[in-house]
Amino acid sequence: MIMPDMDSLAHPQERRFNPYTENGGTILAIAGADFSVIAGDTRQSEGYSIQTRYAPKVFRLTDRAVLAVNGFAADGNMFVKKVKQRLEWYHHAHAKDMPLRAIARLIQTMLYARRFFPYYVYNILGGIEEDGTGAVYSFDPVGSYEREACRAAGAAQSLVQPFLDNQIYFKNQEAAQGTSHPSHLPLETVLSIVIDSFTSATERHIEVGDGLEIFIALSKGRTLQGMESIRGLQELTVTEDGERLFVMRRDLKKD
Amino acid sequence: MFLTRSEYDRGVNTFSPEGRLFQVEYAIEAIKLGSTTVGVRTPDGVVLAVEKRVQSPLLESSSIEKIMEIDTHLGCAMSGLTADARTMIDHARVTAQNHAFTYDERIKVESVTQAVCDLALRFGESVHDEEAMMSRPFGVALLIAGVDELGPQLYHTDPSGTFMRYNAKAIGSGSEAAQSELQDKWHKQMTLLEAQKLALRVLKQVMEEKLDHHNVQLAQVTPQKGFAILDEVQLKEIIDAM
Repeated sequence: MIMPDMDSLAHPQERRFNPYTENGGTILAIAGADFSVIAGDTRQSEGYSIQTRYAPKVFRLTDRAVLAVNGFAADGNMFVKKVKQRLEWYHHAHAKDMPLRAIARLIQTMLYARRFFPYYVYNILGGIEEDGTGAVYSFDPVGSYEREACRAAGAAQSLVQPFLDNQIYFKNQEAAQGTSHPSHLPLETVLSIVIDSFTSATERHIEVGDGLEIFIALSKGRTLQGMESIRGLQELTVTEDGERLFVMRRDLKKD
Repeated sequence: MFLTRSEYDRGVNTFSPEGRLFQVEYAIEAIKLGSTTVGVRTPDGVVLAVEKRVQSPLLESSSIEKIMEIDTHLGCAMSGLTADARTMIDHARVTAQNHAFTYDERIKVESVTQAVCDLALRFGESVHDEEAMMSRPFGVALLIAGVDELGPQLYHTDPSGTFMRYNAKAIGSGSEAAQSELQDKWHKQMTLLEAQKLALRVLKQVMEEKLDHHNVQLAQVTPQKGFAILDEVQLKEIIDAM
């Protein structure tokens, strides 16, 4: 029989079930004029231990919409499952794929519906808008959202976002005399910024690493220009003659 | 049909041995007692026109409301038991607003029509031993006009919950004559003004009274301005141009 220790009897003790865990990892999305890039690492950790080196955080929703989810992995997976279910219902009811901006609003209503027991996830939605432009929408866990040109979220947000602010928005950079900064960057540049972001985050953050998945959504009719040299590019497009979707995978350091 | 009236007349959810639902068929008959309503689709928009039967010189004709807005891009004209249409249009409006709230986009014309028709067959439905919410079929037919990403469209719904898309459709007491006239005169490349004139001309032919700006109402749904009921000045202009 275990003797109750006298110390604990003297002082009241509180025990509590914590329904949330933080599973690390980082996600990132950048919009171009006629494309959108959505990326995430594949490490899933809890504290100092790695639970798995391959847990996808970026998901194809439609041929023109990709959702990246970061935070509490169980909530994230369930949330993506529910979004996909709503997309299928919508398809049956309205005989079309849900447009990107409609998905963004749907995600807001789904998140806010759980205002008092939230999904502990930061969402970034990327893809192609109905007018053919590349788009990125970012969300907080209770559904506030905004369309942006780029966004990083997750464990290494504080490392990556300032880098993006500098490289995408040209913050703290003065344009040369008689020139101006471009509002959208070409795909090749964007891809190298994404890869550099993740290799750097892997170096400096213990929760980032193992693998990198980069989704590329191309506007209808856009050529594969800037993608010729990508090794191991895989196409995920389901329907012909519309937007096209690709994924590329890279290794990140596992230490 | 009225000669074969039988015990199957009473139960709203009971098929007759010939496979008919009499109450639904009678509801469809009720529409033929209503005032004539016409809808015409063109590439530039959809026109709705209704006859307002002014039964008494003391009746304020402006209080007869047979064309209603569902959403900024959706309009609706009715014939039959117009009181029933309130319930249906209320449902359509809630559906359209919910769609805009949840998806940040305008609902499709077909989707809102489907939503109204889902309601049409809920009569006689009840949970456990609760009182049924609707005891009989709706006695009204609707012409739902709207504009969405597929362009201007016109739908017709009836009490059986069936809906169909039309280029031009007439319902109500003068519908047979009106429909054959529409069949003769409608063509693919009509302008909105031609459609307005056609709708009025068709009404004029089937109306007992002389058509003027008091006893008809005209509305349109266009891609640019959405749903709009034409005011008396605009209406008079078109009547004069007929």
